[in-house]
Amino acid sequence: MKGVAAIYFLLVLATTAALAQAPAAPPPAPPKFKGKAPVSDEILQIKLPRAQEAKLSNGAHLMVLEDHRVPSIQFQIIMTGAGGYYDPAGMPGLADTTASLMDEGTATRTSEQIAQALDTMAASVGVSANQGSQVATLTGSALTDQFDQVLALAADILLNPSFPEKELGLYKVRARAALEEQRSDPDFLREERYSKAVYGNHPAASMGLTRESLEKMTRESLVAFHKSNYVPDHAIIGVSGDITLAEARTKFESALKTWARSSTPRPGVVDPSEGGVFKIALVNRPESVQTAFMLGQLAINRTHPDYDALTVMNQILGGSNGRLYRELRERKGYTYGVYSFLRALRYRGDWRAQMDVRTEVTEASLRDLLAELAKMRDEVVPAAEFKDAQRSLTASFALSLENPNELLNLYIVRQLYNFPIDYWDRYTERITAVTPAQVQTVARKYLDVKGLQVAAVGDAAKIAPALRAVGPVEAFDDEGRPLTPAP
Amino acid sequence: MKHHRPLLAVLLVAVAAATAAAITVPKVNFTDTRLKNGLRVIVSPDHAAPVVSVAVAYNVGSRNERSGRTGFAHLFEHLMFKGSENVADGELASLIENYGGSHNGQTDKDHTIYFEQVPSNQLDMVLFLEADRMRSPAITQENVNNQREAVKEERRLRVDNQPYGRTSEAIAELAFDNFANEHSIIGSMADLDAASLEDFSGFFKTYYAPNNAVLAIAGDIDEKTALAKVRKYFEDIPPGPPPPPLDTAEPPQKDVRRVTLQDPHARLTLVDVAHRVPGGLGPDVDALSAVSSVLGAGRSSRLYDSLVRRQQLAVQTYAGMQQGKGPGLFYLEAMVAPGKSAADVEAALYAEIEKVQKGPIEEWELEKARNAARRSLVSNLRSSLQRAILLARYAVYFDDPGIINTRYERIASLTIEDLQRVARQYLVASNRTVAITVPAPKTGAEGAKGATGAKGAGAQ
Repeated sequence: MKGVAAIYFLLVLATTAALAQAPAAPPPAPPKFKGKAPVSDEILQIKLPRAQEAKLSNGAHLMVLEDHRVPSIQFQIIMTGAGGYYDPAGMPGLADTTASLMDEGTATRTSEQIAQALDTMAASVGVSANQGSQVATLTGSALTDQFDQVLALAADILLNPSFPEKELGLYKVRARAALEEQRSDPDFLREERYSKAVYGNHPAASMGLTRESLEKMTRESLVAFHKSNYVPDHAIIGVSGDITLAEARTKFESALKTWARSSTPRPGVVDPSEGGVFKIALVNRPESVQTAFMLGQLAINRTHPDYDALTVMNQILGGSNGRLYRELRERKGYTYGVYSFLRALRYRGDWRAQMDVRTEVTEASLRDLLAELAKMRDEVVPAAEFKDAQRSLTASFALSLENPNELLNLYIVRQLYNFPIDYWDRYTERITAVTPAQVQTVARKYLDVKGLQVAAVGDAAKIAPALRAVGPVEAFDDEGRPLTPAP
Repeated sequence: MKHHRPLLAVLLVAVAAATAAAITVPKVNFTDTRLKNGLRVIVSPDHAAPVVSVAVAYNVGSRNERSGRTGFAHLFEHLMFKGSENVADGELASLIENYGGSHNGQTDKDHTIYFEQVPSNQLDMVLFLEADRMRSPAITQENVNNQREAVKEERRLRVDNQPYGRTSEAIAELAFDNFANEHSIIGSMADLDAASLEDFSGFFKTYYAPNNAVLAIAGDIDEKTALAKVRKYFEDIPPGPPPPPLDTAEPPQKDVRRVTLQDPHARLTLVDVAHRVPGGLGPDVDALSAVSSVLGAGRSSRLYDSLVRRQQLAVQTYAGMQQGKGPGLFYLEAMVAPGKSAADVEAALYAEIEKVQKGPIEEWELEKARNAARRSLVSNLRSSLQRAILLARYAVYFDDPGIINTRYERIASLTIEDLQRVARQYLVASNRTVAITVPAPKTGAEGAKGATGAKGAGAQ
């Protein structure tokens, strides 16, 4: 399956003339551009190297993107079924704890030996299992001349972790402190409250370890989770850098030869149930000088037909120079940054925005943000702004060619979701085909304020009245308990 | 621990180094040219991907600020995104993003740098935008007022609303006596308010001339074409008089200095032990960066192994060094484990310093630093943006872009004796500032906020 696909980046769309003609009327008035900077309208032809692929004998799918410019190799082993999504009931954080302890001792190596070996080579091997994610991922990187040693360590960590009691005990000491620290972290607090509001009892609402579940983690529970969930059957091995497919195949076959097929079916997912009505969850964090917002609602999964249109909509609204940024940061000076994201996985995910604003403008900034959502629903995006967003999405694809690992990640997405082999070759075509009418349609579907969930972390005494002026408020303390008396 | 990380780009020395012997180390190729107006131009071609990156570094940072105007260099950086004679407010960001690129700026103590990464056929656009704002940025009251608010939000976000957000600021204020070195990059709210339009015009004329800047281009462009384009857009920008010399010298410190900080957002006590280290990039700084690797790099580091694993006094440790033109700080840091004492943690940090000073240091501990240097060289080769930024930065910091290549050899040539010598010279009490950040009492905290402590006798 080797070969090269050509992608044509159409840079002819909006010229400087089009920019200069951008409509000037309704507030927020787009700045009148001067249109003097020279831009290239040439069609930049880009050859997109494809990953080369092979099946290993244990069923794992190997994907290799060669890049011999520099003597280093990056790799990842992605295991569906071992992520935080599959934490057993009553054991939130088991997947994460299992992943975290895999490099803390194997049948033949102590934690100290592993750390010393990796640090001495300035190499990295680590396992992570994010909350709400189906997958656990082992990632590694090495200089070419040390790759064999690093791969041997990675294989040992993956296949023979011993989860020593002593290391679990030390881990608990650190984790207790981290659980304490995160209760004052505005980023953590807003995501915790927002996720609960949007996902309810779905696994995507979990923030991982709790004080209760941490104490329930035993060596036996980690051993059992590892044994049943770290299987090669549905695994993807992605390798990029200074290596060929033939070399990678030989080396990974050999390093992972004891990793036997389990013949378990691919673990499934369920969608979260439909969310509630518009409300604001206030988390009291005394002496805050900002309000940390996260807001959004359920949207789509990764294979949904609205995905491309929502991608374009999100670029227009919450991209790095999108409407939210231009209006709330550049024009109003409410915040250092405001962005939005589409979280689309195998189950139904969400669209969300976040910003940190000074306490005094809590109400005004929330109202302005909601007004931008209303504008996306109520007005067709002007042609020039629309084409700018499309071009931004397609032209920026060229930058990923510099980093083979980034490009490989796109192919891994293709493999994870069973997209057609030319999925990324046709990316420009698909994005360019999205119309302003489609963007308005998805805005109406997914930015409907009636179901919007807002989390706001700040000093309750100062911001509760401001939030109440915008919508119904439920208040919590920084431990997640209902705040009494209500502020 | 995040408060030392990218607080407006403090360059933390990633330590590195090498039993270089048989290992082949790739090189970054570049050319180094000066235009008639004094602009230094560095070009580093690489045709692997249709991408080109540009970095423009001005030789001005927070060290050049005067008393009462802290945060000025950084606020000026924000102003540079608000338009120029031929570019409207917001047009630079829109053009770069809409044509598939990315861009940003950073201010630190020693320089202010602007950078872009774009598809390679947009190089003219980027050079036009950078030249236009080097020549004629839109310094207006409206823009100043607007970006002052954005910067205040940045300060709230990164400093005032974060656990331990104030700690590194307080340490620098205490550790240094020269105003150039002691004040923070982001500055104080009051000083941001005090900055006038005249201040901005004066600052621009003094520091934003081509003869006080370095332009680096890396990626898919050949040297000749790149230079021709740079000449076209930049060569007629008039040079300015040389900026006033900057004195970063510190009066000698005599005793250890201490401060205790009450932090309303902290949940655990943080112990910081900072030591003054010299500016520039001499052999002592190379050796100190390797010492920071021995003490702080990874789970195999001495601080983690001793304080977290064996003694269980701390839950997190860190060691690192700020590096630049002027004096910096070598930090040791530990988050105190619940139920343990800050005094015990502090004593344990000193014990680890003493072990480095008196030896032994194992060969593998030095090897860590060597391999880290090799890896950072390799990663610089892959990314055109990283390469452009580092070439421009090293030219401004050390007048030597070639450090991107020679850094590895410098680290590789260090010996264990070098590490012990600098540990004995710099990591000593008379060169030390200690900060203990403790959780503020939960309620009625008014009056308990802020710092208590003083510079030691003989200071100032």
